[in-house]
Amino acid sequence: MTSSNAVVDVHGLEKTYGKANERQYQALKGLNFQVASGEFVGIMGASGSGKTTLLNMLSTLDVPTKGDVMVNGHDVTKMRGNQLADFRAQEVGFIFQDFNLLESLTAEENIGLPLALKGTSSKIMDQAIHEVANTLSISDLLQKYPSELSGGQKQRVAAARAIVHHPSILMGDEPTGALDSTSARELLDLLTTINQEQHMSVLLVTHDPFSASFCQRILFIKDGLIGSEIRRGDQDRSAFYQQILNELGTFNE
Amino acid sequence: MLGKLALAGIKNRRRDYLVLLAGLTMSAAIFYMFANLATNKAFVKANGVVGQSMLIFGFGAVLLVLITIVYIMYANSFLLSMRQHDYGLFMMLGAKKRRIGQLVFLETLILGTVATAIGIVLGLLMSRFLVGFLLNALGLHLAHLVSFYLPAVVATAVLYVGLFIAASLFNLVKLTRTTVLKLLHADEEANQPQIKPIRQMIAGIVGLLLLAAGYWALASIKLLQIAAIPFAIVTITLGTYLLFRATLLTIIRWLRQTKWAKTHLNGFLMGQLNFRVYNYTRMLTIVSLLFAMALGAITVGSGYHRQLPLLANNFGSYTVAIHNKTAKEQQLIGKLDVATQATYTQKRQGKTVFYNAAEFKQQPYEFNEGTMTPKYEKKTAAEMKPTDLNSLDFISMAVMGQNNFYTPKMLKAAKFARQPGKTVSVTTIRVKDIEKDRPTLKKLNQIELARFPHASELTVGNYQSYELMLAFFGGLEFMGYFLGIAFLAMLASCLMFKILSGAPGDKRRYRMLYKVGVRHSLMRNGIAKEIGILFMIPGIMGVIDVLFGLQMFKPLMPKPMSPYLGIGGTFAIFIGLYAIYYLVTLALYWQIVLPQAPATADHK
Ligand SMILES: Nc1ncnc2c1ncn2[C@@H]1O[C@H](COP(=O)(O)OP(=O)(O)OP(=O)(O)O)[C@@H](O)[C@H]1O
Ligand SMILES: [Mg+2]
Repeated sequence: MTSSNAVVDVHGLEKTYGKANERQYQALKGLNFQVASGEFVGIMGASGSGKTTLLNMLSTLDVPTKGDVMVNGHDVTKMRGNQLADFRAQEVGFIFQDFNLLESLTAEENIGLPLALKGTSSKIMDQAIHEVANTLSISDLLQKYPSELSGGQKQRVAAARAIVHHPSILMGDEPTGALDSTSARELLDLLTTINQEQHMSVLLVTHDPFSASFCQRILFIKDGLIGSEIRRGDQDRSAFYQQILNELGTFNE
Repeated sequence: MLGKLALAGIKNRRRDYLVLLAGLTMSAAIFYMFANLATNKAFVKANGVVGQSMLIFGFGAVLLVLITIVYIMYANSFLLSMRQHDYGLFMMLGAKKRRIGQLVFLETLILGTVATAIGIVLGLLMSRFLVGFLLNALGLHLAHLVSFYLPAVVATAVLYVGLFIAASLFNLVKLTRTTVLKLLHADEEANQPQIKPIRQMIAGIVGLLLLAAGYWALASIKLLQIAAIPFAIVTITLGTYLLFRATLLTIIRWLRQTKWAKTHLNGFLMGQLNFRVYNYTRMLTIVSLLFAMALGAITVGSGYHRQLPLLANNFGSYTVAIHNKTAKEQQLIGKLDVATQATYTQKRQGKTVFYNAAEFKQQPYEFNEGTMTPKYEKKTAAEMKPTDLNSLDFISMAVMGQNNFYTPKMLKAAKFARQPGKTVSVTTIRVKDIEKDRPTLKKLNQIELARFPHASELTVGNYQSYELMLAFFGGLEFMGYFLGIAFLAMLASCLMFKILSGAPGDKRRYRMLYKVGVRHSLMRNGIAKEIGILFMIPGIMGVIDVLFGLQMFKPLMPKPMSPYLGIGGTFAIFIGLYAIYYLVTLALYWQIVLPQAPATADHK
């Protein structure tokens, strides 16, 4: 079952919110799935179905109640303290709905943060920043502060920060949620490019069918379990988009 | 309805409001304590060097009022920053501006009035206990000191309520003039200051010049008289402000370019400081002044305390002279930590007191030859010059009445034996530390005074000089400590407000860092550095201010006292207190800001 080239391998994942003596709520009820290296996977589901919860487990921001989570060969449930921080800093790139940029730092400094944490030399850091800035066409924004950027620009800076250190997987929780359709499309195109050219695995949580149509495979979560799964295969994007809409139609019944 | 909503908003931020209320209450309490001393004319007149202490009280009062104004401005902006999001939301939902204005006005005024009322009560209690404690610790007695003094209550209430009315009006105007959108997003704005090099340079130079002028004025207090103080306050404040403004940002910008800034969290730290320091310039200026005043006041106070024995020791050679000591007195003498002790026999006849030269051969008399610092020198009868015999010290061993002494005369042993007259034995004692032995000396003195009432007008021995000076300078000493503590407390809450008002924003930022994968220890260190730097800037400036400012007290400290003597110890203690305060703030900040890692215990 466990394939060796899986970058994410989730087995029997459960999450219950609330302590034993409080009111409890089981958000995840035993999830199983894998993401192969270099894959672009989407996760969809109704509001409250547990998408964010799942992503928090994968990125070690929260701890599962039960089950195994392997990311790039690391068992994240066994990690503690600094290991967790280092894991997040090195293995995961994260794009948030609300950008999560530090407004006291320039775009360049924001992007360089993961490298600074690793202790990368400033020369290599400059190089890496400019490379990624080129890819995301934000080279001329590097000296600006987040407050001087538009939403779409902010999200591109955030994406640059998420990939500058070449993490083994890039995760996004509704990264297009705060963007207009043009900016959203630009970002999704960029994610596709990064995925194809750098073979970086991408895991995208979204409830927007258009965003999801950029993925190769989509997992639908319902009531804390994987309800169904569809693959894009050889279809073009608009056909896949239609398939997603159909699936959502049946899925939500 | 709106009132209810507003109340709910306040409930949600209970902790912030408590900090605010506590800070304002403290401020009002301190002001009351001060006003209680300053407005009590009988007290001021009865204690200390009259003209000068009036001056110092006046100076202190003006300063305290100014600081209070600034302080309330801070507190008010803190209050406004807490509330603007809520009020923005209400307005967006359709509440009328006029109604919101009323709410803001009422909220500010109620908060202010409550703080003032509690503050005055607290101030009353503190006057009673703290002041009493301080006086006890210093061994002082000050006349006409009461804890409840109506004019002080009135002064405090009028000033504070007046200021709060002003603050309410300000808030009302400010809130009703700002657009809804701005109110809603006020938290997220991070203004990035522009640097204009030439302007910066000019500001820096002007700042330095102003500082120099201020320091010069303090040193020339004899020349400028009272005018030196307001002049120095204005120039030093402006100078510090301009200097901070010009240099701090440039230094941070420069540091940001270095490789050092590109490792670990250093870049983040610099970024934080970059947009903090600019907003904090005013606060840092004020805190540096408060720091200087607190440190300066305590230095001066402790200077008097430490140096009075020094001054007293300079008057003569012995601490006390006991005549025909009784068994009880002998017992007390046994308790003293004696440096030298000698007993001589006197024969008093007419206006002359005769001494036995042989006794002085055995126990040479100890003279104090020093002018600035004591310099003891023992002399036998043969070595004494006529001026020695007529020194105040020596003639004081035989007092006839007020300003009236027996004339001393040395006789050979055989002649002395034949000399008729009333025989008195006199014991001179010099103790190592007047202050330490003061209680015993006091008892000895009382016994002596009871036995020889006519000598009571006279200063016999350094102990009595000490007591006289203590009464004379005690007021100043007390003021020093009192103001020092008051300023330190004000400083504490000023810094705390400013730093805590940055905490909500930082909480978000550190949460982001946590998500990006920054180690906990790295964040802790980062915060420690950031707050440490914010504490250090005014600290360093404050120490410099004090080193120059002490010049002002030179005319008030007669030689051999000097405002600079032994300040190392005082500085060390003060900086120790400041450091403790830093650690407490840091711990609070850590608690508020650092993200909690998810509990791992529940996973098997
Ligand atoms: N900290 C928490 N404590 C208790 N319950 C929580 C907590 N976080 C989430 N939940 C619950 O867990 C369920 C899943 O939440 P989650 O945030 O994962 O949903 P989601 O799929 O991301 O929804 P959305 O699309 O609205 O973002 C919800 O019912 C939510 O109420
Ligand atoms: Mg979610």
